[in-house]
Amino acid sequence: MSARNAAVALPQPHETPREAPQRGLRVVEAPRSRRRPRLAYALVALAGAALIAIAQIGLTLATTHDSFVLADLKSEQRSLRLETQALQEQLAGASSPQALAVKASELGMVVAGSASYLRLSDGTVVGAGTSADWTSTVDPTGSGAVANELLTQKPTVTEQTSSAASADEKPVQEPDTPPALTDGLPVPSTH
Amino acid sequence: MTTRATRGPRRRTVVALAVVLAVLGAFVFRLVDIQVVNADDHVQDSLTTGNLGHTTPIAGNRGSIVDSDGTVLAASTLVYDVQLSPSLIEDVDASKNNPPEYLWAEASDKIAAVLGMTGDELRADVAADLERDPDSQYLFLKKGVDTAQYLELKELRDDSGLAYLAMKSRSVRVYPNGAVAGNIVGFLNGAGEGQYGIERMQAECLAPTDGERTYRQSKDGVVIPGSETVTDAVNGGTVTLTINSDLNWYLQQMIAEEAQRQGAESGTVTVVEVATGKIRAAAEWPSVDPNDIDATPSQYWTSQIFSKTFEPGSTFKAVTAATIINEGAADWSTSVTAESREYFSNGAEINDPFFHPKYTYTLAGALIDSSNVALSKYGTMVKPEVRYDYLDAFGVGHKTAIDFYGEESGTLHPASEWDNQSLYTTTFGQHFTITAAQLASTYQTFANDGERIDLSLVESCTNADGTVVEQAEPEHEQVISESTAAQVQRMLENVAVQGGLSERIEIPGYRIATKTGTAQTPDGKGGYKSGVYDVSIVGYAPAEDPQYVVVVTMDEPTKMRTSAATATAFQKAMTQVLKTYRVTPSTEPMDELLPKFK
Repeated sequence: MSARNAAVALPQPHETPREAPQRGLRVVEAPRSRRRPRLAYALVALAGAALIAIAQIGLTLATTHDSFVLADLKSEQRSLRLETQALQEQLAGASSPQALAVKASELGMVVAGSASYLRLSDGTVVGAGTSADWTSTVDPTGSGAVANELLTQKPTVTEQTSSAASADEKPVQEPDTPPALTDGLPVPSTH
Repeated sequence: MTTRATRGPRRRTVVALAVVLAVLGAFVFRLVDIQVVNADDHVQDSLTTGNLGHTTPIAGNRGSIVDSDGTVLAASTLVYDVQLSPSLIEDVDASKNNPPEYLWAEASDKIAAVLGMTGDELRADVAADLERDPDSQYLFLKKGVDTAQYLELKELRDDSGLAYLAMKSRSVRVYPNGAVAGNIVGFLNGAGEGQYGIERMQAECLAPTDGERTYRQSKDGVVIPGSETVTDAVNGGTVTLTINSDLNWYLQQMIAEEAQRQGAESGTVTVVEVATGKIRAAAEWPSVDPNDIDATPSQYWTSQIFSKTFEPGSTFKAVTAATIINEGAADWSTSVTAESREYFSNGAEINDPFFHPKYTYTLAGALIDSSNVALSKYGTMVKPEVRYDYLDAFGVGHKTAIDFYGEESGTLHPASEWDNQSLYTTTFGQHFTITAAQLASTYQTFANDGERIDLSLVESCTNADGTVVEQAEPEHEQVISESTAAQVQRMLENVAVQGGLSERIEIPGYRIATKTGTAQTPDGKGGYKSGVYDVSIVGYAPAEDPQYVVVVTMDEPTKMRTSAATATAFQKAMTQVLKTYRVTPSTEPMDELLPKFK
């Protein structure tokens, strides 16, 4: 027992501790088949990358597309605004007092003198008390006509394009007299 | 431990990594090269040849001028100047990729038709220009083309491919109502700044603030998103006047007719609202149409109502009467004797406008007959300095609160400088000058029971963002007491009813009060013209509760040379004013007539 202990006590040359294989040694029968990488994982990875790329491209496309749409809409707005402006210019001066007065006098209207007023509270007529006569206190077509260059400018839009524009300007018209009344003024029926 | 079994895949990994690193390294190298080493060169390139960045100013619109109802009297709009590049015509016509729809021969016909020329003229012009300079890039065709023609030319250029045509836009001022209130509204000079009238006086309110737009664009002109920064332009504000443009039109039409009928040089009508001092109409003839200022002589480009001074004459007899009544020295019944020509103790000679025997006038009678001699005697009842103070208080010698561009203040000499003659002539409106506006203000004082309210022409300025800046409240001043004003008002109504023009100025349904005035016109050489006068008439209605003051002046009428020339004009003017504002007709009858003579 002491010899064996001594033999054990002394350092022994270290040998690769080959552990006594607890499990049994077996002969390798065949190499373990390597597991092929799962196709699904690869596909998912690639698909994810592709999706990100597509999303990126899509967003950029959408942003730039909007700016093209914006450019289109702005140019449409501009052309509509120009059309409005052109139409308004045709009306330039048409609502001025001079133009209205000339048209009114061509229709036979006059600017009469002092007016009478009907006081509703007691039904009395106050003021001039006489009916207006047919003498106009001013003559809008006469020597005192107030100038407006916008009404005297000659139109320069050509014939072929006046159809594109709206009403033709400065129509030469005979005075439009209202139709003759034969059986009194039309009376509205009121409740 | 690498075994043969593991060495294969590991190597592939390493190789793959190495390749990736190599590519990365190449990119990094290239990036450093671009961003760090050659950075300045590239930046310089982009600025000079890339031309990607642009800054354009955004012009704001000048504000518009509107009347009291909102009718636009002045507005800004765009017109276009058309030009051609003659040297491009050949290139455009010969272009294979993008040939134009019409070649030059046909295109020139179309362009000329839009512009109102003939095709031959246009071709001749272009040929002449090319002869002069074969590389000419610029031939001016027509200025001030309106939007409809611009759209046609744009169609020709863009859709039909006539790329040598160019239209530049330009902002111009348009006055839709023409000459209505033209002298008040004023107009711009060539640089777009106000030159006369409200355009000049309210330039601050009307002026726009320009904005700016900075962006980068791609080759086909589309703005790169995210690169645009915009500072908006701020349009000018809208000036609202107190003028009623329809009434102004009528009065301009009427005074033009009447002044021409009377053979006068010019005429004006001013309407002031008694309760507020606002000028409701300022009509004159000749008037300027701001659309076409060259049609009127330049002396009429500014407003005569504010800038023409004249000696008022008899209209200021009422001021003398108010002076002596307010000082307690007299009342309507105080009497003086007057012959039609009298010599005063200091050597002055005063004549009445018509021959009459010796009368004993009341103050009322002196006003009704407009007797210069009688007023001279009434004037002596107070000291000259007192009369000077009252004239000064009524606004003579001061500009009105409007301070119109080019307004005159008139002249009033101090009482110490009055000589023997002018001591008396100042009692009947001579030896000092006023404008029509000051005359209107004086009678506004009478009509408003002695309280003068400063005249005003501008209501407010509405900024582009909608904030309204009202004009400052006009000043009020009680110049004469209410009882004095009441007496003067009664006398003025008697002038209207008992005076020589009473039938011509009568307005059915209303009680009115008036006073006429005749003044000699200076002949420019220190004396006066003979036989022609500057006549005026001023009045208010209704007499029992005055609402509106109307002043009508006429320069040198030749058919009727006295103030009777203005009678019809006044009657028409006052009738229209009362109609426009639907003033209630007079229901109380007039107080009993004041006697003219004692």
